Amino acid sequence: MRSSLHPLTMWVWALLLITAVVLADKFWFALATVGVATVVVLIRSDGSPWNRTYWLSLKIGAFIIFVRTLFGILIGVPIPGTTLFTIARIDLPSWMPGIRLGGAVTLERLSSSIHDGLIIATVIALFGAATSLTSPHKLLRTLPVFIYEIGITLVIATSLFPQVGESAKRIRLAARLRGVEKISLRRIVMPLLEESLARSLQLAAAMDARGFGVSRKRSRYRPEIWSSRDSALCAISALVPMVVILG
Amino acid sequence: MITFSNVSLVYPHSTKTIIEDLSFSIVEGEMVLVMGATGSGKSSLLRLINGLVPHHTGGILAGDISVDGISTQTVKPGALAHLVGIVAQNPINGFVTDIVEEELAFGMEALNFPPDVMRKRVEEVLDLLSLNPLRHRSIATLSGGEQQRVAIGSALVMHPKILVLDEPTSALDPIAAEEVLSLLHRLVHDLSVTVVIAEHRLERVIQFVDRIIYIEGDGAAAIGSADEILRKADLVPPIIRLARALNLAEIGTSVREVRRATEDIRQLTYREQIPEIGSGEVAIKVSSLTKNYVEKIALKSLSTEIFRGEIVAIMGRNGAGKSSLLHTIVGVCLPDKGQVRVLGGDPYLLKGRQRRITIGYVPQEPSDLLYSQSVAGECEQADRDNEIAAGSTFALLNRLVPQISEKTHPNDLSEGQRLALVLSIVLAGNPEVLVLDEPTRGLDYQAKHLFAITLKEFAKKLNRPVLIATHDVELVAELADRVLFLAEGEIVADGSTLDVLLSSPAFAPQVAKVMSPKPWLTVSDVVQALAIEP
Repeated sequence: MRSSLHPLTMWVWALLLITAVVLADKFWFALATVGVATVVVLIRSDGSPWNRTYWLSLKIGAFIIFVRTLFGILIGVPIPGTTLFTIARIDLPSWMPGIRLGGAVTLERLSSSIHDGLIIATVIALFGAATSLTSPHKLLRTLPVFIYEIGITLVIATSLFPQVGESAKRIRLAARLRGVEKISLRRIVMPLLEESLARSLQLAAAMDARGFGVSRKRSRYRPEIWSSRDSALCAISALVPMVVILG
Repeated sequence: MITFSNVSLVYPHSTKTIIEDLSFSIVEGEMVLVMGATGSGKSSLLRLINGLVPHHTGGILAGDISVDGISTQTVKPGALAHLVGIVAQNPINGFVTDIVEEELAFGMEALNFPPDVMRKRVEEVLDLLSLNPLRHRSIATLSGGEQQRVAIGSALVMHPKILVLDEPTSALDPIAAEEVLSLLHRLVHDLSVTVVIAEHRLERVIQFVDRIIYIEGDGAAAIGSADEILRKADLVPPIIRLARALNLAEIGTSVREVRRATEDIRQLTYREQIPEIGSGEVAIKVSSLTKNYVEKIALKSLSTEIFRGEIVAIMGRNGAGKSSLLHTIVGVCLPDKGQVRVLGGDPYLLKGRQRRITIGYVPQEPSDLLYSQSVAGECEQADRDNEIAAGSTFALLNRLVPQISEKTHPNDLSEGQRLALVLSIVLAGNPEVLVLDEPTRGLDYQAKHLFAITLKEFAKKLNRPVLIATHDVELVAELADRVLFLAEGEIVADGSTLDVLLSSPAFAPQVAKVMSPKPWLTVSDVVQALAIEP
C-alpha cells in the first residue's frame, strides 16, 4: 500500500486547482493542469476499482469539448474575425433574435468554443482525479457521526451496483445459451430484480444480525489522521490560485 | 445455551407448518447438525436462534426460544449480536464493506467498541483463521473458501457464545470444505463455542457433530445422537447406506469406525469390473486451448477429447479453470489460442435454434434462465422455442419430479425442483451435448440421485456426451465415467472415475475410503461386486 494521505487532502487539492483554472481562464493553464492531474493519478493509483474514474472523467471531458465545439459551429453568436468556412444559414423567425443557425465560422468563434469546452473538461477531470484517488469508504469515515449512518447506507447501496452489473451479464449469457438471440428487456429485468431484491434483504438481515443500528454511538476501527504532509500539500496547492489572482 | 420450548412456526400466506411443537436444548460447547430435505426449513430453524425469524421475515411463532437466558421474542436480532454469530448461506451477500480488515471490525464498530479492543480482537481473529496475509485485500477478489473464512471471522470477532452456519461448505471444493470444518471443530474444542450447522453433504460433517436435529418436512422434527437419527432417517450419507447394505450391526459415522466393522468384508474375493472409457465417436474436441484473463491464466494449452455417450466430470479447486473451460466449450467465450470443435463445428458461431439443438447448458444459477411468473409459463415458452407439441416440456418435468403445480412461481420451488425445471427446459431442445456448471448446490441426497438417473439416461440411451463441473465427489462417483482434474488451467489427471478418485485421498468418496484398497466408489459398486442380495 502507498503511504496514505488523509482522504480529504486530494479533494482540497482538486478544489484549489479548479479554482485556479476557472480564475485563470487560460487555455495553456488548463491543459497543464490536466497534465499534472494525469501524472498524479498515474503515480498514486493503487489498482482499486475507483482508480478508473479518472479515465472515465477524461472521456466525459473529451465528449464535452466535442459537443461544445459542435454547437459553437452550428449555433451561436457571431464573432467577427478570420472566416474559416461558411455553412448554410437557416433563418429563424424574428421572435428569436440573437440566435443564429449556421453561417460563417470564424477562427475566433471556433477557438472560443474549444476554450470553453476545455475549461469545463478540466474541472471535470480534476473532480475525476479526486474521486479516483480516494476510497469513497474512507472519505465517508471522515464525516461526522450523525451523517455517517446515512453515509454508510449510501455506500452499501452503491456497492450493490457492480454486483447488479455482474448479475445482468450472467443472466444475458444464460439467455444467449438458451438460444435466445433477441433478448428482451423483460427477460433480463425480471430475474435481475428478483435477485437484487433477495440480495438486499439478505444484506439487511446480515447487518441486523451483526448489531447495526443497535448502539446510538459508533466507534471507528481506524480513524483517519490529518498529518503534516496533508497540511503541506494543501498549502502548496493553495499557492496556485493565489498566484493566479495576484499575477 | 439454546433452549427451544414448544416452538411452532408458520410463515404468512402459507398453510404449511415449518416447525411444530419442537422442544430441545443445546448445551455450551456442543456441535449440532441440522439436516432435512431441501426446503424443509433448516434455514428457518437456524434463523430462529438469533431472532431473524420472525423479526425479519414475518410469520407466527408460538412457544419460546431462549438464548443464554434471553428470550428472542423480547429483543431484536441486533441485541443478540454479541451472543450469536450467524454465517449465511452465501457470505458474499452479507458483506458490508470491501476490505477484509474493515469487514471484521464492522460489527464491533456498530456496537461502539473502544478502538484498542477492536484492534486486539481483529488481530486475534486474523491469526486464528490464518487471514493475516489477506487483511488488506478486497473481499471481492478472494476465493470462495477465503470468503467463507472471512464471514466466520467477522462473526467470531464479536466473541459469540453461539455460532450458526447455514451450509458453509456448499460452494467449496473438498479441500477448502475440510479446512472450514476442522476450523469449526477446533473452535468447539478449544473455545467451547456452541456451533449449530445446517448441511446437505452429510458425509462432510457427520464425523464432527455431537447431535443431529432432523427436520422431517411436515413440521415434525427429531433430535438425538448421530447414531440414533441416522438409523431411521431417509437422508443418510453413503457411509450409512453402506452399513445398511452390508447389514452391519453397528452403524458408524466415521470412516475409521466402519472400516473396523468391515474388515472381514474387505477380505472377500469379488468380481472385478473393468471400467470402459474413451471409445467411440469423438463429440467434442479441444485442442491446445489457452485463455488469459487480465492477471491470471485461466487455461494453459489444454487438449482433450470427449466421446459420445460419455459422462465426464470436471473437477478441481475453486478457480482452477473449470468454468473457463465450460464457457469456451459452449461457445460464449473466445479462446486466445487453440480451438474447440463440437460435433465438428465451432460452438462460438452457433445461434438461436441451432444452438439449442446442439448444446444444452445448465448454468451455475439455474434461475438465470427463468423469467416467467409460473412453471406453466416457462414450459410453454420452451415448447414454443423448440417447436414441439404443447405440454411436452411439462410432461418431461413431471417425469423428473411429479407433483409440481403448474401455477407455482419458479422462485417458490425448492432448489431441487428448480433444477429439474431448468433441466427439462434445456432437454426440451433435445441437445446433442449437455453441459452443466455446478448444478447440485443445495440438493439433498434424493434430489441428487434423481438428477443422476436423468443424466445417465440421457447419456446412455441417446448416446450423447454430458459434461459436468462439480465439487461433489459423491455425485461424481455415482454418475461420471471419466474425470478431468484441472489445476491452474491444466489437466493434471484424466482417466476413469475409479482411477482418478482413488488416487487422491482428499477427493476419494466415503465408500472408497472405507473399502480401500478395494476399487469401489459407491454402495452399489460394493453390492454388485460382492453379489449381495439387496
